[in-house]
Amino acid sequence: MRHALMIVSVTLIGALGTPVAAAELRIGYSSDITTLDPANHRSRVTEGVIHNMYDAVVTRTDDMKVVPEIAQSFTQIDATTYEAKIRPGIKFHDGSALTAEDVKYTFDRLTKDNAMGGQTSPRKSLVGPLAETIVVDPLTVRFKLANPWPIFSAYLPFNQVVSKAFTEKAGNAGMATQAMGSGPYKLVEWRRGDALIMERFAGYYGGAADIPPVGPAKVDRVIVRVIPEPASRVAALLAGEVDLIDELPHHAIKQVEANARTQVLRTNGTRSFFIDLNNKKPPFNDAKVRQAANHAVNRQLIIDRILNGLAVPLATLISPDSYGYNAALKPYAHDPARAKALLAEAGHPNGVEVTIDVDNAFKEQAEAVAASMAPAGFKVSVRLWERTALTDMWKDPDKHDRQMQFRSWGDGALDPVGIFVPVLKSKDRGNFSGYSNAEVDKLLTAADTEMDVAKRSKLYEDAQAIIHREAPLIYLWLPQDVYGASKRLQGWKPSPRGIIKLHDASVQG
Amino acid sequence: MSPLRLAERLLQLIPVLLGITVIVFFMMSLTPGDPVELMLGDARATPELRESLRRDMGLDKPVHERFVLFLGNAASGEFGMSFHHRRPVSQVIWERVPATVELTLASMTIALVAGILLGVLAAVRRDGWIDRVATVTSLVGVSMPGFWFGILLILLFAVTLGILPASGRIDYAGEVPFVTGLLLVDTLLAGRLDSFLDALRHLILPATTLGLAMAALLMRVTRSAMIEALAQDYVTFAEAKGLSRARILFRHALKNALIPTVTAAAIETGTLLGGNMIVETVFGWPGLGRLVVEGIFTRNYPLVQAAVLLYAITYVLLNLCADLLYATFNPRVRL
Repeated sequence: MRHALMIVSVTLIGALGTPVAAAELRIGYSSDITTLDPANHRSRVTEGVIHNMYDAVVTRTDDMKVVPEIAQSFTQIDATTYEAKIRPGIKFHDGSALTAEDVKYTFDRLTKDNAMGGQTSPRKSLVGPLAETIVVDPLTVRFKLANPWPIFSAYLPFNQVVSKAFTEKAGNAGMATQAMGSGPYKLVEWRRGDALIMERFAGYYGGAADIPPVGPAKVDRVIVRVIPEPASRVAALLAGEVDLIDELPHHAIKQVEANARTQVLRTNGTRSFFIDLNNKKPPFNDAKVRQAANHAVNRQLIIDRILNGLAVPLATLISPDSYGYNAALKPYAHDPARAKALLAEAGHPNGVEVTIDVDNAFKEQAEAVAASMAPAGFKVSVRLWERTALTDMWKDPDKHDRQMQFRSWGDGALDPVGIFVPVLKSKDRGNFSGYSNAEVDKLLTAADTEMDVAKRSKLYEDAQAIIHREAPLIYLWLPQDVYGASKRLQGWKPSPRGIIKLHDASVQG
Repeated sequence: MSPLRLAERLLQLIPVLLGITVIVFFMMSLTPGDPVELMLGDARATPELRESLRRDMGLDKPVHERFVLFLGNAASGEFGMSFHHRRPVSQVIWERVPATVELTLASMTIALVAGILLGVLAAVRRDGWIDRVATVTSLVGVSMPGFWFGILLILLFAVTLGILPASGRIDYAGEVPFVTGLLLVDTLLAGRLDSFLDALRHLILPATTLGLAMAALLMRVTRSAMIEALAQDYVTFAEAKGLSRARILFRHALKNALIPTVTAAAIETGTLLGGNMIVETVFGWPGLGRLVVEGIFTRNYPLVQAAVLLYAITYVLLNLCADLLYATFNPRVRL
C-alpha cells in the first residue's frame, strides 16, 4: 500500500514538475485593426497584426537592416530594376505554393489604379515609382521602377504578399475579413472590436534566414484582444489575463515593474517630437529668436520628470537610429542666459510673449515646455485644441498667424525621406512652420535620386547641419515605445517598427 | 390606444427622423478635419493618391451632391462604405450592435431590480437606516463618473480579488454559433452552460457600471412615488380592510408607484446608449459605442452618420414606448 502511494505521489510530482509547453499567448492591444487586407488600409496598428499572418518579400532585423523574407535573394540590377528570387517550397495557409505570380499579383493590386474593385489601394504611394512587376520564371520576379528611388527596398517590408488564387476568389470584400498569407500564424477567427484569434501554421517555411530562430511559431494559439483604455489594459496584464500589452502608460511603469510577475519592455520609437515655430511672422522669422527658443527648453528635465526618462533628446528631427543621422550634431544645450542674450540681440531685451497650440493629448508636455522657457524670457501661454482642428488651422503657413505648435511626426522607415522632406522641405505636405531654404531643398532633392548609399547619407547629414543652425523648429525628443509584459513571455523584443511579430515568442509555465 | 392612433404617432416620427438626418449629415461634414489626411497620417503619400482616395470616399463632390448620395445610401440601408474598414457601413455597424444590446439589456435589468427594490424599501422604512443609506448611495451613484467607477471595479474584482475578468465579452476557447448575437442567449441555445456562465461573468462588471446611475435614479423616483402612494386613501382603506402588509405594498401601492418609474426607465435607456461609449471603452466591450467614438476621431463620416441615425431612431422609439407604457399603466391618460 505504502509502495503504491509512493508511486502515485512520485507520478503526481513528476506530472506537476514537467514543463508543459504553453499553448496560448494573449496580447492586450490598444486599438482594433480595421481590415485583414494587407493592401487596403493605412493603419500601423493593422499592419502590426497582419504581419503575423502575411510575410513580405523582404523584412527588417531588429536593428532595422533590410533582409530577404520570402525571398532567397534580393538584388538591385540597375538604377531602376530590382530582382527577387523566391524561396522554393513556401506555402500559403491553404497549402498552395507561393510563386512569382502571387508576388506580381500583390504589387499590381497596389500600383494599378482602380485595381481593387474600382478603388485604388491607399498603400499605393508606399511602393513609390514602381511601374511594373515582371514574372521572369516561377520563382523570380523583377520590379521595374519608372525612375530611380533609392528607398525602394526600405519601403518594401510595408507590403505583404497575398495569394492570387485566394484573392481572386474572395474578392476585395472577402479579403477584408479573411486572411490567406504565408506567415507563421493562420487566422482562426476575427471577432470585430473584440479579438483576433490565430493559430500556428504547421507548414511555415520558417521566416527570414537572417533572423534566427528559423522555424515554425513557438505557440499554438495567439489571441490579440482589443483593450483601448490604458488603465484597463494594465489591469488585464496585472490580473494575468494577457501576457503583453502595448502603449503602457507612463504612470503605470512603476506598478508594472514592482509586480513580481510583470516587466517593462522598451525600444526607441520612430516618432520625433518638436515645436513648429512660425518662420514667416515675428518674432520667429528671426533665426536668433528661434535659436534662443531652442536654448530655453530644458529637454532633459522634462524627459526625466514627465516622460519618466523614456525618451532621448534630439539635435534635429532625425532619430539617432535613422539612416543618414548626423552624429556630430548635439541637442541644443539648456542655457537660459545664452537664450536671453540671443533674444536681446534680436531686439527683445524684455523677452517675448507667445502662444503654443497643442492637441489635448499632449497638454502636460506642452505646459512643461512652456514653463521651462520662462526663465529665458519667453512668456508662453498654452492653448488646447482638438487634433484635427489644429491641423486644419496650421497646415497652410501662408494663411495663419499662429506662433508655435507642439507636434510630432512618425517615420516608420527610419529614413530622412520620411520625415525631413515632408516637415522641412519648402511647401512640402507636413511643413507647417513655413521654413524654406534653397540650399536645404537642393540637398534633399539630390538625395531623392542619389543611389550611392554613403553619398546619399552625406547629403542628409549636410542638410541636418543647416537646420540645426537655423533652428526652424524647437527640436524636442524621441519617445520610446513602452510595452508591459509578463515574465512568462520569452523570445519577444519590441521592434522599432512598432509591429508585434510573434514568430519567436513563447510563454513559459 | 387605437391602431389608427398608433399609426398616426408612427407617421409623426418621419419628419423628426428627416430633421435628424439633415442635422447629422451637415454637422459631421462641417466638423473640421480632413478624413483623407487623417487616414494617411505621416507616412508617404503622393498628391495623386490623395485624389484617388478622395474620389473613392466620394469627397471630391460638392456637399449638396454628397447629401443626396447620403440620402440614397441611407434609403438603400447600406449607408455607403466605411472609410477605414472599406466595407459597407451597415455591415460594420450590425456586427457591433448585438454586444451593445446585450450590455444595455443587462444594465437595465440590474437598474430595474435594484432601483425598484431599494426604492420600495426606502419608502416603507422612511427615514430609517435603509432609507438613509439608499439615499446617500443613490446620490453617489448619480454623481460618480462611470469611467472611474468602472476602473475601480476592475481593480477590485479582477486585479485584487481575481474573481471576475477585467475586460472582453467571453473567453476565446471556442466559437459560439451566431443566432441572435446575444451571447447569453446563443450559448444556451448551443447547450453550452460553461460558456454561458463565462459570458455572464464578463457581463457583470460593465453592466453594473453602466446600470449604476440608472439604478440610483430609478430608486429615487420609486421612493418618492411610493411615499406618495402610501399616503393615499386607498391604502388606508386597504389597511382598514385588514389586507396583509405585503398585499397592500405590492398589489396596491407599488402598482401605482411604478408608473413614473417605468416611464423614467424607458427614457433613461436612451441615456444608457450614450453611457455605452464610455463603458465599452473601459471594458474593451466590442459594441457600437466604441466604434462610433473611433469613427468620430477619424472623421469616418458615413459610419458616424449611420450610427447617429440609428441612435436617434432608437431614442425616438423608446420615447414612444414610454408614452405607450404610461397609457397602459394609467388608463386615465389618453394619448
